[in-house]
Amino acid sequence: MAPSPDPNSVGDGPKRDEATTKVPTKDPKKKDDKKEEDLSEEDLQLKQNLELYVERVQDPNPELQKAALESMRQEIRASTSSMTSVPKPLKFLRPHYGTLKEFHKNMVESDLKKLLADILSVLALTMSAEGERESLGYRLTGSEGDIGSWGHEYVRNLAGEIAEEYTVRQGEEASIEDLMDLVQQIVAFHMKHNAETEAVDLLMDVEDLDLLLEHVDRTNFRRTCNYLTSAAKFLPGPDDMLVLDIAYMIYIKFEEYPNALQIALFLDNMQYVKQVFTSCTDLLKKKQFCYMISRHGITFELDPEMVENEVDREMLQDIVNNTKLSEGYLTLARDIEVMEAKTPEDIYKAHLLDGRASSGPSADSARQNLAATFVNAFVNAGFGQDKLMTVPSDSTTGSAGNWLFKNKEHGKTSAAASLGMILLWDVDAGLTHLDKYFHTNDNPIIAGALLGVGIVNCGIKNDCDPALALLGEYIDKEDSSVRIGAIMGLGIAYAGSQNDQIRSSLSPILNDAKAPLDVIAFAALSLGMIYVGSCNEEVAQSMIFALMDRSEAELGEALTRFLPLGLGLLYLGKQESVEATAEVSKTFNEKIRKYCDMTLLSCAYAGTGNVLKVQDLLAQCGEHLEKGDIHQGPAVIGLAMVAMSEELGLDMAIRSLERVLQYGEQNVRRAVPLALGLLCISNPKVTVMDTLSRLSHDTDSEVAMSAIISLGLIGAGTNNARIAGMLRNLSSYYYKDASLLFCVRIAQGLVHMGKGLLTLSPFHSERLLLSPTALAGIVTLLHACLDMKSIILGKYHYVLYFLVLAMQPRMMLTVDENLKPISVPVRVGQAVDVVGQAGRPKTITGFQTHSTPVLLAAGERAELATDKYIPLSPILEGFIILKENPDYREE
Amino acid sequence: MGFILTVSVKWQKKVFEGIEIDSTLPPYVFKAQLYDLTGVPPERQKIMVKGGLLKDDGDWSAIGVKDGQKLMMMGTADEIVKAPEKAIVFAEDLPEEEQATNLGYSAGLVNLGNTCYMNSTVQCLKSVPELKSALSNYSLAGRSNDVDQTSHMLTVATRELFGDLDRSVNAVSPTQFWMVLRKKFPQFSQLQNGMHMQQDAEECWTQLLYTLSQSLKAPTSSEDSDAVKALFGVNLRSRIHCQESGEESSETESVYALKCHISHEVNHLHEGLKHGLKGELEKTSPALGRTAIYLKESLIDSLPRYLTVQFVRFFWKRETNQKAKILRKVDYPLELDIFDLCSEDLRKKLEAPRQKLRDEEGKKLGLQTKSSSKDSDVKMTDAEAPSNESGESSSTAAHQEGASSSEKGTHMTGIYDLVSVLTHKGRSADSGHYVAWVKQESGKWIQYDDSYPSIQREEDITKLSGGGDWHMAYIIMYKARFVSM
Repeated sequence: MAPSPDPNSVGDGPKRDEATTKVPTKDPKKKDDKKEEDLSEEDLQLKQNLELYVERVQDPNPELQKAALESMRQEIRASTSSMTSVPKPLKFLRPHYGTLKEFHKNMVESDLKKLLADILSVLALTMSAEGERESLGYRLTGSEGDIGSWGHEYVRNLAGEIAEEYTVRQGEEASIEDLMDLVQQIVAFHMKHNAETEAVDLLMDVEDLDLLLEHVDRTNFRRTCNYLTSAAKFLPGPDDMLVLDIAYMIYIKFEEYPNALQIALFLDNMQYVKQVFTSCTDLLKKKQFCYMISRHGITFELDPEMVENEVDREMLQDIVNNTKLSEGYLTLARDIEVMEAKTPEDIYKAHLLDGRASSGPSADSARQNLAATFVNAFVNAGFGQDKLMTVPSDSTTGSAGNWLFKNKEHGKTSAAASLGMILLWDVDAGLTHLDKYFHTNDNPIIAGALLGVGIVNCGIKNDCDPALALLGEYIDKEDSSVRIGAIMGLGIAYAGSQNDQIRSSLSPILNDAKAPLDVIAFAALSLGMIYVGSCNEEVAQSMIFALMDRSEAELGEALTRFLPLGLGLLYLGKQESVEATAEVSKTFNEKIRKYCDMTLLSCAYAGTGNVLKVQDLLAQCGEHLEKGDIHQGPAVIGLAMVAMSEELGLDMAIRSLERVLQYGEQNVRRAVPLALGLLCISNPKVTVMDTLSRLSHDTDSEVAMSAIISLGLIGAGTNNARIAGMLRNLSSYYYKDASLLFCVRIAQGLVHMGKGLLTLSPFHSERLLLSPTALAGIVTLLHACLDMKSIILGKYHYVLYFLVLAMQPRMMLTVDENLKPISVPVRVGQAVDVVGQAGRPKTITGFQTHSTPVLLAAGERAELATDKYIPLSPILEGFIILKENPDYREE
Repeated sequence: MGFILTVSVKWQKKVFEGIEIDSTLPPYVFKAQLYDLTGVPPERQKIMVKGGLLKDDGDWSAIGVKDGQKLMMMGTADEIVKAPEKAIVFAEDLPEEEQATNLGYSAGLVNLGNTCYMNSTVQCLKSVPELKSALSNYSLAGRSNDVDQTSHMLTVATRELFGDLDRSVNAVSPTQFWMVLRKKFPQFSQLQNGMHMQQDAEECWTQLLYTLSQSLKAPTSSEDSDAVKALFGVNLRSRIHCQESGEESSETESVYALKCHISHEVNHLHEGLKHGLKGELEKTSPALGRTAIYLKESLIDSLPRYLTVQFVRFFWKRETNQKAKILRKVDYPLELDIFDLCSEDLRKKLEAPRQKLRDEEGKKLGLQTKSSSKDSDVKMTDAEAPSNESGESSSTAAHQEGASSSEKGTHMTGIYDLVSVLTHKGRSADSGHYVAWVKQESGKWIQYDDSYPSIQREEDITKLSGGGDWHMAYIIMYKARFVSM
């Protein structure tokens, strides 16, 4: 220690030593240096001054006290604060904290006492013991005033203590008014200083997010809302809804309607959607909203309140009804030059396999032809042309009729329906092509034509309701295959529409004692799709009765699983609303009770990321049961359904499933590949791909089958070369096993779905929104895959067509103000999470510049590479209307 | 009361505007109107109004069509799809035996306990269609007296087994055949530790073929009577020469297989065959009045349709009292030319067909016929004298007269293609494992490992040449390549 002539310091010597050691410093050498420098002229002066002030504060003379306190405050405020070291005045005052505290206690109520409290509050920042919340205590007794002047660190610390205090007081049910004043100040301070995230955190802690509305402004609302929406994914209900509500209000406040609409759709709040339309006055923007609604796949009627002009309204309704989807998709296809139809052989690429592929058997194999039918349907989906079904039928050889008849019995249903898939979204052409099949006497063909009509109309609404008009006639026909075709067609065409007319014709079937089980099962499924996520009581009731009416034997049938599934779909994503029905399900026959339980639970919490439900379901998977229990399958799939909403939960679920795979029983293992397929649908993650590839050679053929189908699902619409190669090898590995080969073919068809222009992912709008109908379609297929042998490999293979509900072009198509496609340069790259990041970070990385229309892969994001236009939606997916930028100057 | 409505009708991609409906007339009239516009007959029109179909006799006021409403019509004048007149036959519907042919290869054989030697032999022999047809002609009644009961039974069992293999999809259990085989050849019933012992496949092969040749001999006609001999028999003409006395004699014999002797110099099948056709024998020399060493050199005098080659891999080791195995690698080709193992007479016969074959191959490769004849033997120049091709063929045809009377127009070429390989894996003949590798008519190679047939690649077949512990060829069979003239 340097010689110090100051007598004052002698007494404090050891004490100060102690204090300095407390100060966090990284290495002792530095500390020594500091000690040397500590006593530089300046510091010494400061230290002496502060000590003097401390003494003076204790002086009985109020004048002196005041002057001392003022000076002390000056010193503290003047010192620059930083995160790494304690400001000098605070450091030098540390030894005196105790003394000042003691003195403060004995002071009489006065301004001076408040002033001292202020200073103590700041000192408590470094001195107060954990959990004491002294800083907050002194703050509350101190003078009111600008707390921001004490620096960021102080405010941040205060916010933390408020949150703690709040929970304590909530427990004691004490008043929180004094805290709220402080909160107001802190929030205002944070919002002004680019610390929106901290303001939001504090408000969430004190459960008063409404305050946020007063403090957001044009500069920070975007970042605030961004944080709110991403935080919502991790909040337990009902907090998440609250948070999104606030975000919605902020967006509306700042007229950021596209974002507001997104949140309204997320909340599934039609009132909000309507509000967006009524608040916005720009017709062009409304068109953009319509595109967004149509992508989400919900039924939405515009009324005069939203759009006054009738002509405009009709045009907007057309967009909502998706009538232009086919056109846009074909524009994309032409631009990418993939219009040329592909045959199943183009997909199988048997010539790449050395000699091991079987040498085209002399007779047609019905199973292989059926596989080819599906492959052809998936690959040419939406293109309107193919080489098997749409070839002109007047040519004598190789005509459409011929391929149709190369399928056996129920296979003809799928073949006729495949025409619907090929002409997907193009209602006029589709109906024209399907018409000829209505005039035969062959029931499976009629059934296929009916199903085809449903598929063509998937997601498309039309004033004339052609699907209902045509299919309605056949619901009550004699032949059950025709009935199923009509019922399933309606389910696909009107998914999510909540159409009363269909309900009144389908509901009676559920409770018809004479109806065969398969008709009832498909009726339940279709009603579940039409009323997906509606919580409709009446439909639920009739399904519950239908389930109760089933005999013991019927409950053992594979198709019975569609009844609980239909019921579950009614509550898709509706969380607690399911509870009443779940209660009723406990009274079911024990054969189906648990299956129903799991299905309801998993559907209700689908896409919520609810950790507690994930744990519940995991516990179910972990049980080792006697044979014959089938409820673990839906539990595993449910796990994926709940966890699929956000990336972190998704990764955790993948890891958990790996564990389940190792320790689970056989029926659990069979469902695991399907769950993986759902988690990474149309998103071929390499790790998952490897796991599935390994499982595709599993000794249990059912595990292998579901792994193969899942390989198709994760690669769906990606043309992923690696998966394609794996499947090709599997096709030679399993060339002798007709069932497994069929699965391989289906998976190959899925991977090349829409020649790589489609996606099955139910998520869109930067993974925020979950299309309920899309998820319903995928989940139905997965449940069917739980009993592959009796459903997909049996005579109900057409359930594969439920995937059409999830099929969407993975495109970004820019249109001008007249909705004509225009080509502009865009950058497409990997999306970067920028939530809560400082400044204006780049939102994409590793980008390439293309001209629209472009394809977007999973996890990719696009941004305009020109200033010439302004996009009307910040989320560049699907149809984007571009407005010319008035400020644009040609360089 | 009547009123007139104006509606528009959408049909396919077209919209017909301003169609008038007179509500007093039934909708059928409206449909007739549309028939004029679209050419779709009314009975095939489906007109959709608000989620329902327009009935022919419906009431306009009840349907609730409004003025200016858009209607949608579906319907085409296309031909209605008809099922093809000839129903399509699906593989799944076929009886089991026809499904088998669809696979492109026949079933495997169940191992009945160390019977892989027998299974692989049967599979190899089954690949000879001529043998199969000869067997199918063998009738139960047509049994000649000079064939004993057991031979007859074995022949019948063979026929049955071949038939079963062709019909079945799943592996066949050769129980009956095995029983008869053991009855006929009791040496195959040897037991060891209560189990039937592994046997030498070559012995099985030879015995079976011998039996078949006996029983398939047609009792009446003398010529071309022995079907088996016609297929597999190789006539050898040997010159026996004694160096000491200078004596020389010649003899002919007929064998069913050529032997490929394996010594240190032999690296290739060809060398082994040459080696096998030369031999020393000891016999009494009439000239010297004592036993002397004779050299025997054999040449092939007539070619079989199927040339069987046995690799002499096993020899009796006195010390261990065991059949030991030579592991030496001996390469064999997929295409074997035995021209230089043939006798002079035979060579002459072969020349013309060989030339023809070369020409054809040359044509295939896009070469001129003339240029391909450069490295042929002296005889070629003679044949080339009448420079045009027709002349050439006529001259050779004369040459060939009487050579092969049975198959007119087709001629042997001395070139053979590999069709089946019987391999052995292991260190001694009576242990290890036998497997058959058979080329199908489709050109694919199938490995018959007892009951499991599996497809193999052609390049892997030549890798069975030994030199390690992998399967190595023991008996291989070549099929003659013919040329038609």
